[in-house]
Amino acid sequence: MLRSPVRFASSILLASAGAAALAGCGDSGSTTASGRTKVSVQLNWVPEPEFGGFWQAELDGHFERSGLEVELLSGGPGVPAAQLVASGKVPFGVVSGGEMLLINEQGADLIAIFATYQGDPTAIMVHAASPWKTLEELWRSDATIACESNLPFVTYLNRMYGGEKLKLVAHSTALANFVNDPMLAKQCFVFAEPVALELQGVPTRVFPVMESGFNPYTAVVVTTRKYLDANPGICRAMVSALRQGWVAYLEDPTAANVAMSKLNPAMSLEAMNLGATKQRFLVEDEVTKANAVGWMTVERWQTLAEQMTELGKLKAVPPAIGGAYWQPPVDASANGPDA
Amino acid sequence: MRLAVVVPPVAVIAGSIAAWWLAVRFFEIPPYLLPAPGAVLDAVWVDRERLAWGMLGTAIGASAGFAIAAAIGVAIGSVLGLSRFLERGFYPLTLLLQMVPLVALAPILVVWLGYGQRAVIASSAIVALFPVIANTLGGMRSVDRDLEELFTLYRARAASRWWRLRLPASLPSIVTGLRIAAGLAVIGAIVGEFVSAYAGDRAPLGMVIVSAMKEYRTDLMFGAIGLAAIVGFALFGIVNLCGWLLLRRWHASAQGGSA
Repeated sequence: MLRSPVRFASSILLASAGAAALAGCGDSGSTTASGRTKVSVQLNWVPEPEFGGFWQAELDGHFERSGLEVELLSGGPGVPAAQLVASGKVPFGVVSGGEMLLINEQGADLIAIFATYQGDPTAIMVHAASPWKTLEELWRSDATIACESNLPFVTYLNRMYGGEKLKLVAHSTALANFVNDPMLAKQCFVFAEPVALELQGVPTRVFPVMESGFNPYTAVVVTTRKYLDANPGICRAMVSALRQGWVAYLEDPTAANVAMSKLNPAMSLEAMNLGATKQRFLVEDEVTKANAVGWMTVERWQTLAEQMTELGKLKAVPPAIGGAYWQPPVDASANGPDA
Repeated sequence: MRLAVVVPPVAVIAGSIAAWWLAVRFFEIPPYLLPAPGAVLDAVWVDRERLAWGMLGTAIGASAGFAIAAAIGVAIGSVLGLSRFLERGFYPLTLLLQMVPLVALAPILVVWLGYGQRAVIASSAIVALFPVIANTLGGMRSVDRDLEELFTLYRARAASRWWRLRLPASLPSIVTGLRIAAGLAVIGAIVGEFVSAYAGDRAPLGMVIVSAMKEYRTDLMFGAIGLAAIVGFALFGIVNLCGWLLLRRWHASAQGGSA
C-alpha cells in the first residue's frame, strides 16, 4: 500500500523537474551552414497585418543581411508567448507591454526591444445601427460586451465611466455571435475584426480604447535580459531587420500579405490589405518618424506602469522602469550579430 | 472510519504536495511556471469570496448539465436497448458526442443559446451524455435472459418490463456511467464558461481561470483548477452515495462497506 504514494509523489517530482528543465533551458541561437544565427520568434497570434513587418523582413532578406535565420512561430488563442520567452524556450516573442510588466512582477526578466504599435489597436466595436455613438456612451449603458474582462483597459474604462450597468461576457475569436446579435458589443483590433466584417457587409462603429487615455505599447518584441546581455549583437540585428521590414511593409504590404494569407486562410488577402492600411497610423507617429519604427520612450513605459499600478494590476511601479526596454540607436542598428 | 481507508489517499495527497513543494524549492521554478503549494493556498485565501462564488456558479452549471445528461442518457440508452436496429442506427450518432471537440463546439453553443448558463449547461450535458448512454445500453443488453423470458411469459407490458426488470438490472452499469459523467460534466462546464460566462465578482471558475491565466496569476489559476476538481469530486461523491443507497441491499458492487 505504501508504494503507490511514493510512486505518485515521484511522478509529481518528475513533472516538476520537467517544469524546472523548461525554466532552465536556453537557446542562444545556433549557427547555420550559411553562417547565419538561427533564432525563433514566438508570435502571440496567427499571421496577419500585426506581423506584416516580420514577414516583409524575411521576404526582403533583411534578416539574412543582418546575419539571422529567423523562424516565425505562429501563435493563436492561449499561446503562452511570454512564458515561452521567459523560460528560455524561444529567444524572442511578441507580447503586449502590459503583459510584460505583469509577468516581470512574477519573477520573469523580459525586456522589450521593439514596439510595433505606438497606438494600441484594441477597440470595442458595435453594430453601425446600434444606438451607441461614443465609447463613453457605451460604457455608461447596460450593453453586453464580449471582452477579456481582466485586461487593464476594462478596469481603466470602469474607473473613467463607471460601467456598473454593463454586462461583460467571455470573449472568443468567433464573430458569428456578434453578427447574430445587433446589440452585442465586442472587443477587437481596429484593423482586424471590423475589416473582416466590413468585407462581409456587416457595418460596424469602432471605438479605439487608446482615445480614452490608456494606450500601452502593443505587439512588443521581447527577449530576456539574460539573452540580451549574452547576445547584444543578435538583438541589435533583430531590431535592425524589423525596422527595415516594417518600413518596407508600410510602403507596400502586398507581398507580405500574400505570404501571410497563405498561412492564415481565415483572413483573406483583401482583408489583410485593407487591415494594413487601417493600422498604419498605429505603427507610425511623430516619435517613430523622428527616430525609427518600433521606437520606445521611457515616458510611455512610466505612464503604463503607473496606470497599471493605479488600476491594481501591478503591486508597484518597477523601480527602474527605464530598464523595461532596450533599443539600439538608429544609426548603429544595422550591425550584424556578434554571435 | 477505518485507518486503512483514510491513510492511503491522505498519504498520496500529502506526499504529492510535499514533492511539489520540494521541486519548486529545489529547482527554483519561477512562480509564473509553477507556483509553490503555499502560494496557491494564499491566493485561494485572499480571493476566497470570488472563488466561493466561482465554485457555486460552476457547481450549478455542472450539476444542471449532469442532470440533463443523466436523464437524456438513460432515456436514449433505454430506447436503443429495445432493438438492435435502433442501436445500429443511432449509436454511431451518440458516439459522435464523445468525438466532437468541445472547445470548437462551445462558441457555436453561445451563438445558438446566448451568453450565460444555458450554453454552459449545454456544454456540460453534451460532454457528459455519452458515458451515460453507453453504460445504460450496456446494462440493458446484459439483462438476464431467463428473466426476460419470464416477463414475456407473463406478457408484461413494455413499460412494466423496463421499470421492473431492465432498469433495476441496469442500475450498476448506469451508476458507473454516471460516475464517469460526473467528472466530465465539470470539464464541460468549465469549457463552456471559457466562452460564454458573464464576468464580474461572481464569475464562475472557468472565467476566473481565464482571467488568472491572462494576468500570469498562476497561483490563483492553480487554486481555481483545484476548486474545479473539488466540484467534480463532490458531484462524483453524490453519485456514489446515490448509487450505494440504490444498490446496497441487493448488488455485490455496493456491499462491503464502502460507498
